[in-house]
Amino acid sequence: MKLFRSFTLLVLMASLAYPLFPQSKEKCEQPILITSAGQSADVTMAAMLCKKVGLNAKTVNRATAADVKDVKTVIIVPGFSSKGLGAAGISREQEMDRVKEVIAAAQKQKMKIFLLHIGGKPRRGLQSDDFNRLCAEVSMHMIVVKQGNEDNFFSDIASAKKIGIDLVDKIVDAAKLLEGSFVKN
Amino acid sequence: MQRHHYTAMLFLFFALVFSAIASKDFLSMYQPDVLYPSPSLTKQGMLSDYFAAIKGTSGDTPVYYFDSGNPGATILLLGGTHPNESAGFMAAAVLVENARMTKGRLIVIPQACASGFTATDPLEGCPTHFTISTKSGNRTFRFGSRGGNPLHQWPDPLVYRHFPSGQQLSGMESRNLNRSYPGKADGSFMERNGYAFLQLIKKEKVSIAFDLHEAAPEVMIINAIITHEKGNEIAANAVLNLEFEDLKYSLEISPKNFHGLSHREWGDSTDVYPFLMETSNPIQGRLRGVTNEHLILAGNDSFYKTAAQLGNVRITYELNGEPLSLRVARHVQGFRTLVNAYNEQHPENTATVENIPEYQAVLDRGVGNFLK
Repeated sequence: MKLFRSFTLLVLMASLAYPLFPQSKEKCEQPILITSAGQSADVTMAAMLCKKVGLNAKTVNRATAADVKDVKTVIIVPGFSSKGLGAAGISREQEMDRVKEVIAAAQKQKMKIFLLHIGGKPRRGLQSDDFNRLCAEVSMHMIVVKQGNEDNFFSDIASAKKIGIDLVDKIVDAAKLLEGSFVKN
Repeated sequence: MQRHHYTAMLFLFFALVFSAIASKDFLSMYQPDVLYPSPSLTKQGMLSDYFAAIKGTSGDTPVYYFDSGNPGATILLLGGTHPNESAGFMAAAVLVENARMTKGRLIVIPQACASGFTATDPLEGCPTHFTISTKSGNRTFRFGSRGGNPLHQWPDPLVYRHFPSGQQLSGMESRNLNRSYPGKADGSFMERNGYAFLQLIKKEKVSIAFDLHEAAPEVMIINAIITHEKGNEIAANAVLNLEFEDLKYSLEISPKNFHGLSHREWGDSTDVYPFLMETSNPIQGRLRGVTNEHLILAGNDSFYKTAAQLGNVRITYELNGEPLSLRVARHVQGFRTLVNAYNEQHPENTATVENIPEYQAVLDRGVGNFLK
């Protein structure tokens, strides 16, 4: 009886303590493919952040399904840029089709998709939000600079789809979170 | 004399009075703005030194050289490409009146589109001048038009065909310096000016070049750095470093198929790393109300404030306004940070600019504090 009581007490304490020690976030694997969704130059900054924390990542602004083959995680950096699309010489519709193709390829290979929204307000609004929503809804985790989430756009998607989200004040704050999100090689 | 003769004379008299007042205003736009270069100035020349065909024309403009005497990179900075974007001109003026080089060279052209400083845009109701209080008293500067003066290149074609791409733009863009590059030696007035700038960049072997602009708060690309794809990493580094100082910039890459702009054509035609910076300037916007000198200086507009509070349109506007001091501070800090980022990437060929004011100092003490 005494043993039973001790066991019950232990189970009770463990269950009470559980919320204080949530399971650690599932980590992603390297190598990584970084690609844009909307052709903003934020993808360059994402590449610099990964380089800064020593992640094995290749950046292909206009990645296709073929680029997904040799990697284990895809980081998508969403945000529309008319100049970026002009630089790439493609239309918004072509870009949307390309992003869908990359997502489909990644999902087919059961690959993790990671969202990194670092452009703040300039990468929100009508033109950007189609890309933002598309990528957010299929991601397994998001890192978002707070300025881009003032209306809880990403937080709402995260809670509705039960996706992990980290909100950061600055782009540079995303670097450490990125580092901690990947299994070290 | 009959009665109607007296009436006619009265009308003639008033017409002459109004003409005299308008002429005074008109001619005041031809009075050059005076800058007082820092003691580190090593040479002053003219743009026509690089292309004699523009000598003595309304497109010729002063060029200020600061040579450290120590080998290093050459920096070029243009203000006043669009003379109604005052922060670009004033940031260049702050550099001319303060900069000191300890390595490499700095070349500053504060009024790149000299022609545009002689007129304001029709139907915009903009002031012709603005006055800044400086240490030595009040100084007045011109507020011009986006393009060159129609008197210097007229008429506008129905469609402007860019040389050499053949890209077609609205006819009025034929007077836009930032659609004229790489220019044409035997082209229009503005194409010849654009050509002269390219000759300068090539002859002086410029390593890194800046073109300072402003845009209406409702323009999507604002508080931004726009660069040729080859300057992508330098600009990305600079944006991250500016963020450390709580200055938010977005990075944009120059579209390959949008021709005539400095960030595209300078980069395509020369070895230079070109950077164009934009700040938010309410006097250029469509939502603005009273259009006066106060709007240039304080950047404070009740209609933009209401729009920002309502949040129904996407604008870049601080509720306290976008004062000239803030806009100049951003340009100067952006310039400094981009030069540092360039130096990091090119340790073999660096340039060091000293004695230019810090962002917070310009913001707190005003632009005038850094003008003589």
